[in-house]
Amino acid sequence: MTRPRILLVEDEADIRRFIRLALEREGMAVFEAASALEARIGAASRQPQLVVLDLGLPDGDGKGFIQDLRGWSSAPVLVLSAREHEQEKVAALEVGADDYLTKPFGVPELVARVRAHLRRASLVSADGAAPSIVRFGAVAVDLATYEVSRDGVPVHLTPNEFRLLTALIRGQGKVITYRQLLLSVWGPGYSDRPHYVRVYMNNLRQKLERDPARPQHLVTELQVGYRLAGIHPGEATVRSVLERGLEACHHASVVDVA
Amino acid sequence: MPHLKSMRFMPWLASRASWLGRAWDFERGVVGGTPWRGLLPALLACGAATLLAALLLRVFDLSNVVILFLFTVVLVSLRWGRMAGAVAALLGVVSFDFFFVPPIFSFHVSDTQYLFTFTLTLVVGLVTGQLAARLREEAASAAAGEQRATALASIASQLSAASSVEEVQAVCAQAMAPMFDAQGYLWFSRHADMRTPMVEGFDEAVAHWVGEHARSAPCASVSSGAWYRYVPLISPMGAGGVLVWRGDALASSLGHEQQRLLEACSALIGQALVRIHFADMAREAQVRVEGERFRHTLLAAVSHDLKTPLTAIRGMAETLELADALPVGDRVAVAGAIRHQADALHRQVINLLDLARIQGHGVCLYPEWHAIGEVVESALASAAASLGERCIHVTLDADLPLVQLDAALFERVLANLLDNAAKYTPCDACVEVGARVHEGALHLYVEDDGPGLPAGVDAESLFAPFARGVQESAISGVGLGLALCRSIVEAHGGVMDAQAREPTGVRFAIHVPLHRPPMVEPEPQ
Repeated sequence: MTRPRILLVEDEADIRRFIRLALEREGMAVFEAASALEARIGAASRQPQLVVLDLGLPDGDGKGFIQDLRGWSSAPVLVLSAREHEQEKVAALEVGADDYLTKPFGVPELVARVRAHLRRASLVSADGAAPSIVRFGAVAVDLATYEVSRDGVPVHLTPNEFRLLTALIRGQGKVITYRQLLLSVWGPGYSDRPHYVRVYMNNLRQKLERDPARPQHLVTELQVGYRLAGIHPGEATVRSVLERGLEACHHASVVDVA
Repeated sequence: MPHLKSMRFMPWLASRASWLGRAWDFERGVVGGTPWRGLLPALLACGAATLLAALLLRVFDLSNVVILFLFTVVLVSLRWGRMAGAVAALLGVVSFDFFFVPPIFSFHVSDTQYLFTFTLTLVVGLVTGQLAARLREEAASAAAGEQRATALASIASQLSAASSVEEVQAVCAQAMAPMFDAQGYLWFSRHADMRTPMVEGFDEAVAHWVGEHARSAPCASVSSGAWYRYVPLISPMGAGGVLVWRGDALASSLGHEQQRLLEACSALIGQALVRIHFADMAREAQVRVEGERFRHTLLAAVSHDLKTPLTAIRGMAETLELADALPVGDRVAVAGAIRHQADALHRQVINLLDLARIQGHGVCLYPEWHAIGEVVESALASAAASLGERCIHVTLDADLPLVQLDAALFERVLANLLDNAAKYTPCDACVEVGARVHEGALHLYVEDDGPGLPAGVDAESLFAPFARGVQESAISGVGLGLALCRSIVEAHGGVMDAQAREPTGVRFAIHVPLHRPPMVEPEPQ
């Protein structure tokens, strides 16, 4: 297996150094860029499978780079940003970034995020058709039949709750902003009403999380949006548990990625 | 005078007096009006007196009837002033001569003694008329003066209560405007930010000229046809203040009284502005002094609490550099310690920056409707490293309403409280975070079962900046966290306090008022 190629865009040499060391220890090939211009050249010549991008670059902002990159590549982009710049983070996510880390961040956290996004990207590219059954924790969701179960017990979701859940599942662990969620669940007229998402998210947690006060899967990214953590395409076990027959075994395309 | 002596009771006087009472109106007198205004009423009054005299002549003597004309003169003077009174006196004599003195319907006089009667009547009429008119004018002017004094006193008291230029503007618009039947605005030629939005037709160039030259100017707007009057305000702050009046009542030149009233008002406003200006300056100076003191204390505390972890980090990093002989276990321990110190430093820097921002321009909130559970979740995530192995309980009611708050700042409050709990409790302590609705307020608490507050420490004193339970303890951290928390909670209209928890530990409680959350349309089924 070839080493995953990572493009690291960061103007601070010391930060570049420790990120590079950490990722190389994970067996990845890291290419560095210290400015937006170098990043564009690096992205074109190296064809990275993932980009780690600092938003504050000396020669222009990282958002423009993400927009350009999204024109021809679907490689995950992990944004590094300072705490004060919530709006920048949201804007970066909305132009196509996949996730963000707030400075200062821990190395284990960075490595975990990079690996998770690489895994997700390889899954999506290896298997174009998304599996119809998705599992996270004790919850199984059948996207084809709109059935949701927790610990094998069917859970009733309202249409909007299901749409919200599907939007998070489609993100495959990406951070999805309030606006994106509002657009895909309620439509353009609602994009300035983030409280809708918060109310429905609370309902989803009450129905799906083991401890709704400390959610493990429906994770809040405060003032940015939400993320579905611990997601993996599941085997077709939902239905057998539900004792609805064995026809679900025909979902041969389901991939396990343990 | 023989005529006066023989005068008898006249029954029409009563009805006449009641009419007089109804029509009597000192408020809108001849003061400031035109002198010719009363001529027509004088003419009519004389006509009426003539008709009445014709009726009375059947009963009374001719010599008594002349008194009726004198009485008319007095009434007309009282009601319409000197000129009308004089005209009434003249008309009365002429009418008496023409209609009643034989030969009737002729100005000829058969008996020369009537010439004496005419002259006397005219003189008495003119004199009493003038006296009555003057009485009336004085009464009117006294009433107007009293009214002016009352109005000025009321304006002065309102202005003395005003503590900002905006409030002076409000007094100007609400109290003074009705007095002049016009709208009043304040305008400052050198303080663009203090100007009120002006109505159409306001001429900035004129106002500017008035402000700079301190001379009053009446002016009509060409575009809107409205009348303006620009009055300069005397103010030492050199703001070039101008009081702008707008109203059709200003079209004619103002009467003497009105003019004086306007000047008095301008002077009052000028004084109020001066007072506000100096009060502001005093307050600013006070704030500056407090700020200096705060900065001094802050610097002292910061230099200690920031240098300590920096020294540790630097020393440990140098130890690692020369780590040839260091066993692997020690190396890992030193690196871990560097990370801990860096985390502590990071938290302090965040608190310092937040506090500096709040001290700088007050708490600037970006409130939105949030689920408090999500804020708790984020705070737990950001304090996860410092909480370590401590057991955490989260108790949130399932049906908590949305709360309007600035999530980023509130997360700082909870994260600080959790960091605090971690800092002052042993590693096996339990920390509980909870939220519930109680009596229309959101009740949030963070408590631990650690050693609690040291003996002799007042819980309230923890919230003063740089306070710490144990002075100069080994635990670092500028005592900013709780001061910051309290400012943030108070900016949300809430209260925050600390209590000892039974049997051991501390409980920090926050109450935030709840408002009606926005509607969420129910889903169509």
